[in-house]
Amino acid sequence: MSSSTDHLVHKAVAPPTPAAKPPRRRPMSDKQFALVLILPAAAFLAVFVAWPLVKLVIDSFHDIAPLAGTRRFIGFDNYTEVLASSDFLHAALRTLLYTVVVVTLEFSLGLGAALLFNALGQRSRVLRTVFLYPLMIAPVVAGLLWRFLLIDNFGLVNALLTKVGILDRPADIGWLSDPDIVLISVALPDIWLTTSFMTLVLFAGLQNIPGDVLEAAKLDGANARQQLFRIILPLLRPVIAVALIVRGIDAARAFDTIVIQTNGGPESASTTLSLLIYRTTVRFGEQGLASAMGTLYLIAMLAVAIVTMRMIWRPGKGQS
Amino acid sequence: MTAVLDRLATKRALLWALLLGVVAAYAFPFLYLMLTSFKTPSDALAVPPTILPKVWSLENFAKALDTPGVTAAFINSITTAVLSTVISLVLAVPAAYAVSRFGTVSGRVFIVVALVTRMVPPVAIGVPLIGMMKTLGLTDTPVGTAIAHTTISLPLSIWLMVSFFEAVPAELEDAAKVDGCSRMGALIRVVLPVVSGGVAVTAIFAFLASWNEFLFALLLTAVKAQTVPILIANFQTQYGLQWGPMTAMATLYSIPVILLTLVLQRRIVAGLTLGAVKG
Repeated sequence: MSSSTDHLVHKAVAPPTPAAKPPRRRPMSDKQFALVLILPAAAFLAVFVAWPLVKLVIDSFHDIAPLAGTRRFIGFDNYTEVLASSDFLHAALRTLLYTVVVVTLEFSLGLGAALLFNALGQRSRVLRTVFLYPLMIAPVVAGLLWRFLLIDNFGLVNALLTKVGILDRPADIGWLSDPDIVLISVALPDIWLTTSFMTLVLFAGLQNIPGDVLEAAKLDGANARQQLFRIILPLLRPVIAVALIVRGIDAARAFDTIVIQTNGGPESASTTLSLLIYRTTVRFGEQGLASAMGTLYLIAMLAVAIVTMRMIWRPGKGQS
Repeated sequence: MTAVLDRLATKRALLWALLLGVVAAYAFPFLYLMLTSFKTPSDALAVPPTILPKVWSLENFAKALDTPGVTAAFINSITTAVLSTVISLVLAVPAAYAVSRFGTVSGRVFIVVALVTRMVPPVAIGVPLIGMMKTLGLTDTPVGTAIAHTTISLPLSIWLMVSFFEAVPAELEDAAKVDGCSRMGALIRVVLPVVSGGVAVTAIFAFLASWNEFLFALLLTAVKAQTVPILIANFQTQYGLQWGPMTAMATLYSIPVILLTLVLQRRIVAGLTLGAVKG
């Protein structure tokens, strides 16, 4: 980052000297040139992301009947209805819980694996490759796979648990049919798919910790736990922050894996916000209502995003 | 002295055993899916389940490939993913270059907006996008789906490419300019070849984002442009619970990307860890 900011400073203080080369026929300032390069991507995002978002917000103030083709401005009525609905509040809580479960488990497992890989060094490379592949698998496939593993009567998980004596009969735990635990069960494919991401990012961070820092700590008599909590984790803080944020945002938007496993059931116990919004608009055709939910969901995500962005962006960006 | 060495060796062996166990457990679910796809369809539903097939059979694959629309779905998945990758790269590479090289106000605003775009839940823009694609006549076409997928992959591509461009020393282009290259010429002839590895990584991620995407494909396609993830999802509703053929289809769809991972793993790891570790 520093090199590009230095560059900027140079450009701002002293405009490009023509000494190197005579000006071209149509000289364009660096500013204009940059704008020309950015414009296509900016236009794409404006048309296909920003404009749909504007439409979403506009729709949220309307009562829309897609079949009859009518729409009527109703002010904040959709919002009052949404905020008073227990469906929405429960779905929001579930989304939060789901995100916390996914990110916590992924982080703990990912950090554990990263520390193991780091302790064993370069010779663990082949195993790291194996660790990588779930990242490439479609969430739909992962969802179906885990549904298959978790089926009450002939799923492998319950069959194994019965074999080792934890369960009396395979049907004793209904991973995906018991409303009390289903939100944890539907998180499994997500955790399985992306723990690798945590591991890789944390592993790369660990590799950047200078060896002599840990050596010095060891000489001072720090035990493994002290090394982890006093030295490794504090040094990894920026890496951990980015990893948690990237994964947290993805987890909060999870859709595929949950739809495939339970379609939000049983009794809506795994209906997160993405699913609720999808169902409200596609199934029930309540586009105005769904747009209000979508807008609130978006605002929450952006709030989190902006807060965290400021957290990450500050160090290194300005002056280093 | 030897006692200490022995203790170290034991500790190391234990760590290796632990790591092997963890990796095996992690790799096992998909291995089980693949093994199941080689069982007979009835065997796949056996109680209690077995890990290895009793009889190795290709019946599930035959059934999966016999599903109506399966060839079209594979072609659609490839077309959509390639289109989306191309659009993503064509838009992201110049923009990321400008952001990392010129550090203008517009560039800074743009990169922040692009990153914020990554936070938008697809379900929030999905329904408005349906309407827009209708207006453009792009519903149920690979182009329409590819555009929707690009809303996901473009911010990611820009983010990755900015990091790659930042690793290129500015002196390189300055030298090229002194030698008489225009700014555009310096970008195309001097900088792009240097970051070609980065472009490849970005292409992989853009491709995967589209290849694995489900929600936009579900909203924007009906029959003609249906991609494989939708077809796989339909195995459970349309045909009851056909686990055997479903596992075969899932295996067929995942094998190409898993092979890609193995071949390009170094680059993929570099791409994954780039942004986070630099921060």
